[in-house]
Amino acid sequence: MESRESELKGLGADFVFGFVQSVDGERDPRNLLLAFHIARKIVHEGYDLGKFTEELFEVTSCYFPIDFSPPANDPHGITQEELVLALRVVLTGTPRFAEFLLPLIIEKLDSDVQSAKLDSLQTLTACASVYEHKDLAQFLPGLWASLRREVFQTASERVESAGLAAVGTLTACLSRSVLNSDSEDSLNVFLELVLKDCQHHLCEPDLKLVWPSAKLLQATSTASYRASHRVAAAVLPSLIEQYNSRTQVSHTIQLGRSIIINVGVRLTFLTVGHDLINSDNDVISLPTGTGAFSLEEVISVCHSLQKIAEQAQDTEETGGVFHDVIPRLLGLALQAALQGENIPTNSLLAGQTASRAVSLFLDGDVSFLPENTIPAQIQLLKVRFQCDSRSQSQMVCLLMGCVCWLPRTVEVPQMDRLLLELLELSCTCDHPLSYTSAAKCYAGLVNKSPAGETLKRISTELDSASSPVRTQAFTLLLWVSKALLLRYHPLSTTLTDKLFSLLSDPELGWLAADGFSLLMSDSPDVLNRGSHADVRIMYRQRFFTENSAKLVEGFNAAVQEKKSGYLKALSHIVNNLPRQVQLTELPALLPLLLEALSCPDQGVQVSTLSCLQPVLLDPPSALITQLEVCLTSSSQKVRIASLRCIHALSRFPEHEVRLWPALVLRALAAPLDDHKRVVRSEAAVARNEWFLLGSPGGR
Amino acid sequence: SSLKQQNCERLQTAKDEDEDVADPIDDREIFDLIRSINDPEHPLSLEELNVVEQVRVRVDDQENTVGVEFTPTIPHCSMATLIGLSIKVKLLRSLPERFKIDVHITPGMHTSEDAVNKQLADKERVAAALENSQLLEVVNQCLISNARTS
Repeated sequence: MESRESELKGLGADFVFGFVQSVDGERDPRNLLLAFHIARKIVHEGYDLGKFTEELFEVTSCYFPIDFSPPANDPHGITQEELVLALRVVLTGTPRFAEFLLPLIIEKLDSDVQSAKLDSLQTLTACASVYEHKDLAQFLPGLWASLRREVFQTASERVESAGLAAVGTLTACLSRSVLNSDSEDSLNVFLELVLKDCQHHLCEPDLKLVWPSAKLLQATSTASYRASHRVAAAVLPSLIEQYNSRTQVSHTIQLGRSIIINVGVRLTFLTVGHDLINSDNDVISLPTGTGAFSLEEVISVCHSLQKIAEQAQDTEETGGVFHDVIPRLLGLALQAALQGENIPTNSLLAGQTASRAVSLFLDGDVSFLPENTIPAQIQLLKVRFQCDSRSQSQMVCLLMGCVCWLPRTVEVPQMDRLLLELLELSCTCDHPLSYTSAAKCYAGLVNKSPAGETLKRISTELDSASSPVRTQAFTLLLWVSKALLLRYHPLSTTLTDKLFSLLSDPELGWLAADGFSLLMSDSPDVLNRGSHADVRIMYRQRFFTENSAKLVEGFNAAVQEKKSGYLKALSHIVNNLPRQVQLTELPALLPLLLEALSCPDQGVQVSTLSCLQPVLLDPPSALITQLEVCLTSSSQKVRIASLRCIHALSRFPEHEVRLWPALVLRALAAPLDDHKRVVRSEAAVARNEWFLLGSPGGR
Repeated sequence: SSLKQQNCERLQTAKDEDEDVADPIDDREIFDLIRSINDPEHPLSLEELNVVEQVRVRVDDQENTVGVEFTPTIPHCSMATLIGLSIKVKLLRSLPERFKIDVHITPGMHTSEDAVNKQLADKERVAAALENSQLLEVVNQCLISNARTS
């Protein structure tokens, strides 16, 4: 065949026919080996099979599966293995055999003989790697039934893994298909079969089919991008639901993690995961796009990563996954940023990554980022005014994620230099996200670092607020105030006093008022207990006690238009106090708050009402006394508002207010005769409600 | 009740806003107090059933008197006393103590109007009635306010 190829081929189908006849009935292994080699050549090297395809197949396949035990002292040394492999090459050599081979495989898989099973599975794996979907399409149900059986009921690990391998290559083969508009999607058909039989088992943790099902699903999802999408989309919702609802979650985590770790296109999974986590019920939209990920995908990946991080067990394995994925994300993010797009993100990192991040941001060291085309020596913190590089300066929010979340025991390298750079960036950059993130990052670091030279610099910098960067300076002031307030650093008073004084500032007044919300509430991305910030206990309470008088004074002294700022600030502070403190402090502030209710500014009304709300949830009797005082106010609006509050109080659970009716009814007698009709009407309504309280037939 | 009430919601005038101007108590104000009292038997208000009407309300702020005439739905209405009591109680709870409250059946509208009127006028009888918890229960149920539009 080697030397006379063309002549032999010239014989056409006759050659094949002759060959078939001569092989028929052969039993000598040496001859068979030779025959298989020839057959392989016939099949692989384009000999004309004519109408003898089936005959050629039959004459070779009748030896399948090979069951050969060489005699003792066999001088020729032919092994079963050799024969098996030689035959396999023939059988799987051409898709034209598919229609014969596949039924044969299915048949032989039924055999009780383990070696036959194994051979069949391995042959299947081999042919699937050369076949196309159309060759397999009609046999999918049968193949799946057998494969499933082999994995579900296996007694042998070898058979199981061979079965899984077969499933994988099968899936991969089907995934290679190019779909026409009228062709059926075989991959879909196959995955439907798989999911139908495997999916529900995942939710039954005590039955023994969980792991076989999981392995099968894993085998399919690792085979190709398309398959992984399909499988993850189908399986994840229930896994997540399971995780959320069960106390015994270890196996669910393992399942989930095995899918995470083993899926070839890891980030695709996570993107799907994000859609699922965010989806209502069954509305799932799979992202399109292969190769480079779009920004939305990266963002959603980050979000879902965060959620997974929050829920995953803190083990070495999980940590390993994240340590691997995060730098990839950093790299992706940087690359996307260089293409000029926005990425807000959030991540958890350990000290090692932090120092990498620092060297990246300070020195442009990109060596640790895998597979990147980022120019070395990139200057991420220096960018200031060039508008088209603002995307780079935004990256400082990633830096914040890296360095501000370290435990205080981990030292941040090059701290002083870092602080200097951040200070500069926050005071001079013109891009809001960038300078805010720089301020936050600076604050996060300052909160943990020991007091020293650095802190003195802040006050000098801030006092020189010149007009073009006032907003930036204010942002920095706010964040640093928070950082220092949390740890009750002496310098914090100077800074917060500055904030108070800004309440009447024509330009920054409203910002300052809202800033108090930021000062008092928990910030998710920096300066919180989770990021190991230095937070002293009861700092909010202390702040309130030391400053509420100041605020009331400011309010009383301010002109009408400015009063709302003080109220806003006050309500922000009060809203964040612990409940007990609110209950004791609020009644004294009641006149102020009630007056605030009548302020036309909706923002003030809202913040005042939300100030009052905690008190109303669990009212102390001091409240009634205070409200009574308000009933004598000269402003009818105040009287009306107090009456409404008293009315509202009647809605409380009976046990909380059962001692009050007499008190209230007496208090409400006078307002019934108020000289203003509206007040009388409110009083009547409230009083009637209180009569009904605890009275038969009443509420 | 809402339809009638919505159409007749009292309009605020500039005087109402003025702190220093005193608003006298007028007939409308009294009527507003009693119009949405529930009928004990029907899921309708006294206004909707025309049991009370603004024309049959008289108040004299200076003299501290209030007079309400109510018209039972049918001449033999057995609920007449109860309805009258509900009106009286509502006014007692809603008006300053200085007022003398007179509630009686519109003349010629009920077979036992004298007897009912006498009961309603008797302070001690009224007080005793309200100490009867079953009676009080029914009265309260008539007085439970429907959603007030404000």
